[in-house]
Amino acid sequence: MTSTESRRASRRQVLKGAGALAAAGVIGAPAISKAQTGAIKIGVPTILSGRVAILGQTSVGGLKVVFDKFNAAGGINGRKIEMVVRDSKGAPQEAAKVTRDLINNDKCEIILDAEASSAAFAVQEVIREIGVLCIHSNSETSSLTADPKLHVPTAFRTARQGIHDAIGGGDYAAKIAKAKGLKKWATCSPDYAYGRSNTAEFMEYAKHFDGNIQVVEESWPKLFQPDYTEVVTKLLNAKADAMYSALWGGDLVAFIDQANLYGLFDKQASFMVNLGDYGVVDQVKQFPQGVYSGGRYNRTVPATKENEEWYQNYVKTQKHKPTNWSWENAVAAEFVVEALKKTDGDTNGKKMAEAIKGMTLRSQFGTKGTVTMRAEDNTLIDYIIGYGVSLSKEPYVADFQASAWEPIIELEKQWKKKQGYIS
Amino acid sequence: MAGRWRDLGLAALGLLLLLLVPVFGAPPAIRDFIMFGMAYGLLAMSLNLLIGYTGLVSFGHAMFFAAGAYAFGLAMQSGKFSIPGAFVLAIGFTALMALIVGAICVRLNEIYFAFLTLAFQMLFYNIILGWVSFTGGDQGLMGGIPRPKFLGIDLADRTQLYIFCSVAFVVCIAILRQVVTSPFGYTLRMIRDNQERAAFLGINVIMVKLACFVISACIAGVGGILLTLFVSGAYPNFGFWTTSGEAIFMILLGGSNVFLGPLVGTVILRLLNDITVTYTSHTELVLGIVILVLVLGLRKGPLDLLAERWENRRQAKAQAVRDAADKDAQAGRDA
Repeated sequence: MTSTESRRASRRQVLKGAGALAAAGVIGAPAISKAQTGAIKIGVPTILSGRVAILGQTSVGGLKVVFDKFNAAGGINGRKIEMVVRDSKGAPQEAAKVTRDLINNDKCEIILDAEASSAAFAVQEVIREIGVLCIHSNSETSSLTADPKLHVPTAFRTARQGIHDAIGGGDYAAKIAKAKGLKKWATCSPDYAYGRSNTAEFMEYAKHFDGNIQVVEESWPKLFQPDYTEVVTKLLNAKADAMYSALWGGDLVAFIDQANLYGLFDKQASFMVNLGDYGVVDQVKQFPQGVYSGGRYNRTVPATKENEEWYQNYVKTQKHKPTNWSWENAVAAEFVVEALKKTDGDTNGKKMAEAIKGMTLRSQFGTKGTVTMRAEDNTLIDYIIGYGVSLSKEPYVADFQASAWEPIIELEKQWKKKQGYIS
Repeated sequence: MAGRWRDLGLAALGLLLLLLVPVFGAPPAIRDFIMFGMAYGLLAMSLNLLIGYTGLVSFGHAMFFAAGAYAFGLAMQSGKFSIPGAFVLAIGFTALMALIVGAICVRLNEIYFAFLTLAFQMLFYNIILGWVSFTGGDQGLMGGIPRPKFLGIDLADRTQLYIFCSVAFVVCIAILRQVVTSPFGYTLRMIRDNQERAAFLGINVIMVKLACFVISACIAGVGGILLTLFVSGAYPNFGFWTTSGEAIFMILLGGSNVFLGPLVGTVILRLLNDITVTYTSHTELVLGIVILVLVLGLRKGPLDLLAERWENRRQAKAQAVRDAADKDAQAGRDA
């Protein structure tokens, strides 16, 4: 009897032990095993599944190109960089949890936030609490870094900003409008915060530079809407001289394919900020010619040897073409590498932030061959912004005109005052 | 009465176990996992009060999860409320909303009830998206949720936040338990099994369903508040139909006939999510396969299966005792 009881007790203990081990294995063990490699671990919350998986795929590609080079050169103090990429599916609460897990469980010392906008705000709050270095590399929503209430000392942004695009694009559109007499405008943008704010800001600055512009029709298709027939018909009926669209990704591809059937692009001048990106170019059945396309990423913009080499290297190593997200993430990675050199490999959030604040980097993605992390609001400036005209074959964008940064910065200041961000 | 004290004792034990987690220095990741699980666990458990106990399949339960989250978040961001004040306000708002939505929905049954709750959820979701100046639209409540100290408690401290969430969670589970074991809870089951019979017995079926709907919504609202505290924000997808779908998955995974089934389902779903997300981006594929296996293989939740086996075993034992007694009696008569 005694022996049976002791056997039972022992079996229970074994079961309990196994349960505890399983729980530790599931939740805690990766941290223990991976933390001992000595690598500098960088956590990357992003979207790897669903319709915008290309965002995560090409963001990680941009990071890898830089970190592989850094590691091949020996890293810093013998420590190499190891990326830990996690899929948040774009859900803010998942992004927050994934980011916390990357820091607490996977022992990541730096976060490169390759999330879309709403999840980026959730990541920002985690960083506010934990204080590691974070670079937001994809969120274009201006308030993330412009609004002082949201400011986090160790958080930066290398993604382009909506307000910068709006000022640069508005200036370009106004020049074309004056030259061609484009007075009546229609808009067609996705019905969510990015689409509405981007369009409002673009039209505001187009009107600022050309007072004759007036919006006669607004169309707000739902995000991920499959059928655009009604939207195209509405745009045709408006008989506008020009149209602006902030549609992007798969939505833009579907819209162009359907608009081509009605010859929409032959009947009016069209301005599309997200057109000239390889993610779109490669998917559209008949890429429209003569559409004014915003600068995202193109191997010919700038038409330099460095950019062509970067493109070739990216395609060779990542097996797909880079997108706008690729260069934004590549720049984020370069800031991390340079900051690590300055801190001698110390990944402390405050020290890294001090190193990055105000830092200017040599970069082929800058208008003057450099980009700068502006110290006053931890955001990137001097990157290439502009518009070109679309071609139906390589290089897909011609006559690219880069916007000058001085007026952008001046008007951005006025915009910040209007928003109450600065006095 | 003895059962009630036993349940309260078990709740106290559960709380003690939860509080031991930080005492034994569990890594922050485990605490985060538990806090996340507690928020979603309340969503699933409260939904099961409708689905499992009352037979009301709601497709829109996440609207109350979001209502609690937004009401709490907005109250805290206004700077005019303490945390307990905002907590009470958020539950009050959720209850009021549930009263209005429920008054319309509970008059319907089956698919009509399900789709009307879905319609209300999408209406609420679109209000969140559209009212950008108030709710932040699809960016959610930005800038963090302030957590001023109250009664010496500082929820900015992660351990204190964990303790606060644990207490709120256990209190909610204890309330749900008291509801389902009370005469009111048995009335809910009667309505689920045959609402005409319940009506003939003099029960005001609509009022009982409405009360259940409001209680369930309030518990979901507390889940939303816990998640808001955890992520320091509130986002529209808290109230999207996929969140309601997740809660239904949790109930399916854990089982709807055993009280803690949905909680087990929550743990399974969260574990599956956290494990798959670590190793692959095909999370949905893995979840889909597991759900298929459970639904087609077990045809019920693991806790339901265990409970059923336990009951079968108990009945088999009782039958064996009866058979042995009959045999003895027969032997006695033969002698």
